[in-house]
Amino acid sequence: MTLLLLYLLALLDGLLCGLRTSMGRCAFIRKRSYYTRAALRGMAGAQVASMLALGALLLMRAFSSHREVLRADLEFAAGRMLWVFLPYAALVLFNLALRLVPSTDIRSATSVFMLGPLTAIRPVVMIVGVLYGIFTSKLLETRLLGGFVLALMLFLEFALNRRAARAQAIQIHQLV
Amino acid sequence: MFAAWNPAQPEITDLIIEHDPGTLERLPIQKQKLIEVFTQFRNRRALRAVLALPEKGGILDNREIDALLLTVHWEMQRLAEEFYHGHRVWELLRCVIAAIRATGNRETLRIVDVGCGIGYTPRWLASNVPLAKHNIEVVGMDLNSTLIAEANRLAAAENLPCQFLHADAFSGKHASHILLSTGVIHHFRGDALAEFLQQHDRPGTQGFLHFDFQPWFLAPFGALFFHQLRMRTAIARHDGVLSAARAYDGRTLTEAVRASAPDFAAGIYGAKIWNTPAPRVFHTLVGMRRELVPELRSQLGRYASRLEELR
Repeated sequence: MTLLLLYLLALLDGLLCGLRTSMGRCAFIRKRSYYTRAALRGMAGAQVASMLALGALLLMRAFSSHREVLRADLEFAAGRMLWVFLPYAALVLFNLALRLVPSTDIRSATSVFMLGPLTAIRPVVMIVGVLYGIFTSKLLETRLLGGFVLALMLFLEFALNRRAARAQAIQIHQLV
Repeated sequence: MFAAWNPAQPEITDLIIEHDPGTLERLPIQKQKLIEVFTQFRNRRALRAVLALPEKGGILDNREIDALLLTVHWEMQRLAEEFYHGHRVWELLRCVIAAIRATGNRETLRIVDVGCGIGYTPRWLASNVPLAKHNIEVVGMDLNSTLIAEANRLAAAENLPCQFLHADAFSGKHASHILLSTGVIHHFRGDALAEFLQQHDRPGTQGFLHFDFQPWFLAPFGALFFHQLRMRTAIARHDGVLSAARAYDGRTLTEAVRASAPDFAAGIYGAKIWNTPAPRVFHTLVGMRRELVPELRSQLGRYASRLEELR
């Protein structure tokens, strides 16, 4: 259950990363399909990152001499990570839900005062969440895996941003 | 005050492109002149951005500057989207249109977006408002041919019923019933502001709505935070914050209208959020022919309290 929740959070994070990196890079008015593609791309990126993390976990388990201890340690660390990631995700989703209110002031305010700052602190939340998760872990394997997952999460937005920037530069140079 | 927030200096985008006002032909820009401007203001942030601009023999490379401008304007559209600018414009514009119609005017109303850039507002209106039903025509004008070409490309790609012209909206060749602008008016400094407003007083023009940043002491900090998070180019980050520092307050704008276009009653719309002391990021300079003012108030309905006295 804990791992499933982390996986779902990773997909949500990927979806939002995909959206974020595509914003300001398309000047059309009707952008539903553009943003849908961007969100799917982000989710696909998160899926790849999740598969890599799962692969690393299975490798560690295969070569571990104390599998049951490792399993318990990983589950405990993952559970602790949720204490950071779940409230953060809930706050983001709450502010996205607020944008359904038909008021331009409320919608703008969620963007300026909440979603912007929440985006800004994303890397910090990632680092704090993983560190908090592995802080009490007894095994080096758990800490290494936590570090690997953190690197994947931070790399995801960087990679999506690089891809979107390159696509935009090509498109703009074709226009001028 | 930080050097990059000194309102006496121009924005980088004011200087990297220039057109002959008569022929609208693009003029070459010497990079050294830009460096001198920002050296004078000790604005190291702007200098770094200017030094990175591509050049050929000391003259800015037009193609690369165009690419940069498009990148910046695409980014700026995000700002308009996040602030629901299209909704805000229409909320006010529909009341202005209704006020004009209440006088018995049945002709097609021509709404001109002055300095439209890549034309977000006209395109949003064309996409979200049934223009034919309202019997209105939306036109965007800008002196920058690259931005106008892009506005036309975007409108054509989405089949939007609006047009964009590489033209001076005040040249006398183009009529307008309502003039609009967004983030433009603070670019007119000193006497140029009065000149700009004076040109509004032409036969046929019934009113104008100029949307711009609202200055207050936290605005540059807010703009800095917003632009650092959202904007990706150094120029957009620099100019976005400087715009907030250079924006005119409501009093300056309304007094400028009263002095240079006295046939219009002028006031500010939407300065405060829900009638609280909290200021909105954008406010709107509203100018209307005096006989239309009572009807405008009536059309605004529950939003009438957002409009200060027009005089």
